[in-house]
Amino acid sequence: MLKRKMLRDLMENKLAYLACLVIIVIGLTTYTSISIVMENLYRAKDNFYADARFADGFARVSGMPAAHLDRLARIEGIGEIEGRQVKDVRVLGLDGERNVHLRLVSLPFIPGEYERPINAPLLVDGSPLNEEGRELWLSPDFFAARELKLGGEISLLVEGRAVIFTVAGTAQSPEFVYALRTAQEMFPMPETFGIAYLPASTMKTLFREQDRVNDLVFLLEPGYTYAAVEEKLRPRLEPYGLISIFSREDQVSHAILTMELQGLEGSATAMPLLFLSIAGIILYTLLKRMVEQQRGQIGTLKAFGYTNGELILHYLSHALLLGLVGGVVGGLSGIWLSFSFTEMYAQFYQLPGLGRELSYGYLWRGMLLSLVFCALAGYFGCRPSLRLQPAEAMRPAAPPPGRRTWLELWTFYWFLLTVQGKMATRNLFRSRQRSAFTLIGVMFAFSMMATTWYFRAITDFLIFDQFTRVRTHDLQVAFSRPLSLPEVERELKAFPGIKRLEPMLEVPATLKHRWQEEDTIILGLPRDAYLYNILTDTGQRVDPPTGGVVLAEYLAAQLRAPPGTELILESYWLEDPVRVAVVGVIPQHIGTNAYMEIHALNGLLGRGSLATAALLAMDETYIPLLQERYRETEAVASMEASEALLDKVRELMQSFGSMQYIFAVFGFIIGFAIIYNSSIVSLSERQRELASLRVMGMTSGEVLQVLTFEQWLLSCAGMLAGIPFTIILMHTLSRAMGSELFSIPVIVEVDMFIVALAGTVFSILAAQWMLSRRVRRLSLLDVLKERD
Amino acid sequence: MQVILEGKGLSKWYQMGEVRVEALRGVDCEIYEGEFVVVLGPSGSGKSTMLNMIGGMDQVSAGELYYRKEPLHLADEKQLTRYRRHAVGFIFQFYNLMPNLTALENVQLVAEIAAAPLDAASILNEVGLGDRANHFPSQLSGGEQQRVAVARSLVKNPELLLCDEPTGALDFATGIHVLKLLKKFQQEYGKTVMVITHNAGIAGMADRVFQMKDGKLARVYRVDAPVTPDEVSW
Repeated sequence: MLKRKMLRDLMENKLAYLACLVIIVIGLTTYTSISIVMENLYRAKDNFYADARFADGFARVSGMPAAHLDRLARIEGIGEIEGRQVKDVRVLGLDGERNVHLRLVSLPFIPGEYERPINAPLLVDGSPLNEEGRELWLSPDFFAARELKLGGEISLLVEGRAVIFTVAGTAQSPEFVYALRTAQEMFPMPETFGIAYLPASTMKTLFREQDRVNDLVFLLEPGYTYAAVEEKLRPRLEPYGLISIFSREDQVSHAILTMELQGLEGSATAMPLLFLSIAGIILYTLLKRMVEQQRGQIGTLKAFGYTNGELILHYLSHALLLGLVGGVVGGLSGIWLSFSFTEMYAQFYQLPGLGRELSYGYLWRGMLLSLVFCALAGYFGCRPSLRLQPAEAMRPAAPPPGRRTWLELWTFYWFLLTVQGKMATRNLFRSRQRSAFTLIGVMFAFSMMATTWYFRAITDFLIFDQFTRVRTHDLQVAFSRPLSLPEVERELKAFPGIKRLEPMLEVPATLKHRWQEEDTIILGLPRDAYLYNILTDTGQRVDPPTGGVVLAEYLAAQLRAPPGTELILESYWLEDPVRVAVVGVIPQHIGTNAYMEIHALNGLLGRGSLATAALLAMDETYIPLLQERYRETEAVASMEASEALLDKVRELMQSFGSMQYIFAVFGFIIGFAIIYNSSIVSLSERQRELASLRVMGMTSGEVLQVLTFEQWLLSCAGMLAGIPFTIILMHTLSRAMGSELFSIPVIVEVDMFIVALAGTVFSILAAQWMLSRRVRRLSLLDVLKERD
Repeated sequence: MQVILEGKGLSKWYQMGEVRVEALRGVDCEIYEGEFVVVLGPSGSGKSTMLNMIGGMDQVSAGELYYRKEPLHLADEKQLTRYRRHAVGFIFQFYNLMPNLTALENVQLVAEIAAAPLDAASILNEVGLGDRANHFPSQLSGGEQQRVAVARSLVKNPELLLCDEPTGALDFATGIHVLKLLKKFQQEYGKTVMVITHNAGIAGMADRVFQMKDGKLARVYRVDAPVTPDEVSW
């Protein structure tokens, strides 16, 4: 019988319980789906790394005889070391708006069943490589994006001549799970960049270097740390022109995957916690009110001999039922959502074996989580009234004492209020706990919507910043090797349509300050450069310095090098380390660089006047002409038109757009549920009072105002509190998400708060609209009855 | 004397599942301006239902009801609210004060929505609570709370004062005090007062008495020499 009573109790406030249920479902859907995706990613990653023998350390040199590898293998702590040639080449015949590139990676031997090189590409489809013919394996995403065929041919521009290869298969290496051509790119672009693997013997025949390698990978001996090995390896590699040496942690693909996994881990904890807490609070207030209201019934049941335990179980069962239904629905929808989530991740992260895995573990765990939250909320909600003796319980509770509040000390505010307003103001303090919950809830809803807009603003800002303020050139021509600056100028200036040409010199370097050191690329730019702008946080252009370097904020922070600090600069372009002073720090949002004036940088290097790229401002109509003219030039590595790149980035950004709207909807639901719940509870507490007002001649609109005035007071306070809370949240997110690749600016825009305000107000209005229906149904006759 | 309220065949039934409960079965009545009417009857006799109809708190199921010739039985929710707001004052058995408003604020609350309200403070003085004006209901005795309720219904200067067991929750002396206030209002302002009670003693101070039984008006009689509230006893 109590079960039936429970169901009827729930039906009485079905909308409030439903809102609560929706929040539980959202919490568990996020928990289950993110956890499963995370587990899938971790499992796929760990298996893949182990199968493919992912390297612990990486080094790039300008060239080293392959025969010298043996000596390095003897270094204490190195388990295995392999040398490879890694070269970027252009693909012929596939060019669209952008040039298409492949990164050729030589394989010391063909991976077999029992023996695999370090970073072994695992064959996904096709046949093993034949050392005799010109065969290669391609990365699967490139292969798919370009709609190539197994056994088909692909033409590459190698050292100025076209070489035809046969595509023997597709293969994936752990090094290129997230394949970026340069660290400056934000997303893998499989249409224009892929990886190709070919036998070292084939590679040898293509390039002049023959028996030299330019890329080393190594595995550590168990018990040794990377740092200890690097210390020994670094001096041994310096004679070969060490460009960079880094651990697995700093390997771009691995770093991005790790960052993503950490982000997921955070979301898998924070999101369900947030939603379940809110649902818990709502459930707590609803049950508390119901138990208060049913005092008489509880007294009667106790008088009949029901034990406290049975009654607690009865009231707990309301919460548990909600927890159970929420758990099942949330868990199942989480599993279902995890399929598409996993597929989405599979588009960005090339992890063989990453697939939809059914995991009921998280379903159970999620249900347990939901039940525990609901049980706690239910227990604390119903405990107080159950402690009463039956006779006491059957008597009506003492009337709530009226009290003056501190707000009345603001005589001016108090004077402005109507009596209805005064009543509402005092009501805020009548149930302080609930008022506090409402305020915090509105604050959350507001901040969630503001943050949604913030992410929109960030992506817009990053794109805008990068393409309209930092890189204002129309075309960037990158050279395959440093070229003489005067020659470049002479060559290009003659080309029609070029309005301005600015050379750029990119020098890979290591910057050291005390024991901190960072690998970076120093960009040398002309003094009056305006096709690539160095901007301060307020958007002021800074001239590239002739004495000293300007550092990106992230770099300066890593090196603990504020302006005025003297750094040691090492580079394989330099014979000996030199000292440079930090003369400025700027917020670089995409990538991390150091900047110098190009002639000063050339002077420092002492190799004459060099450039590695040219930035062009030019008449758009001439861009295809120029691309055509230099397409086959060996010295030109790539020609990137900004407009085409921008389009591509915009397209990718759009796929993230839907996520933002989902969060906005979550914010709306939270706002609605919090306000609706608190008003349902107020309404039920004060049914008699409000009905008397109706009897005395107030319209239902006027009665509603008493309730809504109260809510608006709380909501305004909540939204006001939401502004600093959002800013704190933004700073936290910015710090948490910032890395070598991105620095996320904190953008405080009025827009953001206006949108959040509109969204929150809308959710409050929706809740009040539902409330107004209940106020209209308020029974006037109830006031004449005795108190229940 | 002019008729202020007229009921013809007033009926009210409630559908409780499959059972139809008839609370009022065809009551004809007239209430005159400025008279003091007491409606007597045991529980379940339909007196509260009649008060609900007359007070515009509920719609009649059948029959006609006119307030100064205006058909209340045809009025919609909006018109009923306006009627309650401007024409009727209510006094309940359990006071129904707003717990978080002071005595004076409770009176002002109603004054704010009335068309031609009296002065809240002076009404409160008149009911003898001038010195308790800033107390909250929880700081007042039952009799004091009921006097606030009286002041609250008087402040909007209604034509018709409807009281549902106004002394039901009070001790004798306090009850008499409240009755005096009602009588005073009727006599000094010339307003109509209708008191619903099962306390036959109060009938002695009425101009007319309606006796109800089983949802019908069993007897209506005029009291030739109404006693003063001081002379009432029960």
